[in-house]
Amino acid sequence: MGVAIKGNVVNANPTPGNSFYQFTHNQNAGSDGLIVIQLTMSNAQSYSGCTYGGQTMTQLYSISRGGLAQRMAFFYLENPPTGNNTLRINFNGNQWNPISIHSRSFTGSGGIGNNANTGGSATPNTQPISFSADSFIMATACSQNAISTIQIPQGSNRTFASHNTNRQVGTGAISVGTGAVAGSYNVQTTATFGNLTNDRIEILGLSAPVDDTGGDFFLLM
Amino acid sequence: MYTIISKIELEGTDNLNYSDYGTTTDPEIVNQINEDFDSTFGAFLGENRTKIELGIVSVSTFFATTPFVYEARTEVDNIDGLNLINVTDLNQL
Repeated sequence: MGVAIKGNVVNANPTPGNSFYQFTHNQNAGSDGLIVIQLTMSNAQSYSGCTYGGQTMTQLYSISRGGLAQRMAFFYLENPPTGNNTLRINFNGNQWNPISIHSRSFTGSGGIGNNANTGGSATPNTQPISFSADSFIMATACSQNAISTIQIPQGSNRTFASHNTNRQVGTGAISVGTGAVAGSYNVQTTATFGNLTNDRIEILGLSAPVDDTGGDFFLLM
Repeated sequence: MYTIISKIELEGTDNLNYSDYGTTTDPEIVNQINEDFDSTFGAFLGENRTKIELGIVSVSTFFATTPFVYEARTEVDNIDGLNLINVTDLNQL
């Protein structure tokens, strides 16, 4: 396996005031590209899709967190166009609440692996995710109260962007991801107090090519 | 990280239009822009969000007296090819 290469990042926290919001994201040049986007906003509206460079992104999940009145979603696109392109988020109506946006590029990626989503639970919210060797784990959290830490794995604080969607969001946390062996991590999210969510996603590295250059053979008589 | 300074204007009668105005790496400029936003358009949205959603209040009410506002809440780590001005002084806005 080979670990993916982390690329460019955009963090934004606008109030769309429209049925869409769009911005420019620069996808790094390189083979086996991947672009992902983590979203959180009021569940008064839903996401009706995302495009990057005009190509439809795949929705991994879109979850309404009723207790927080928020909708959290994750979209991705494998082998996206490189360079500066428009990333557009569409809604099913005008969104007048702020949205939390985190987009990130990768190259040398095998795509999306496991994901797991846990709704509001008392801080610290510690949850497992199983993963393959050389994967990255991304995580995000939402709460009524300020997000204090996102640890991937538990015990290793990762940086994240703090956004206000009329709730508090921590987004864009990602593991170091080098030399990890396959297994199971605990991902821990904490808030100043109260409940918070814990959503985690595996970003795969590349599988090594099958070795067909040697080996045994049998001569049948 | 660079911060993108967005220019926000009225689109049609009831929608917002965002355009990229410039970039800055100065946290004081970012804070001042966002404080100005929060005390003007942000406050208007806070007071009227539900009424706007219900169609009782139009966002055009705000833009009748203020043609545009700036906000600085988009952070990027690559600005190659964006051709945006580097804002080092609020007077450039």
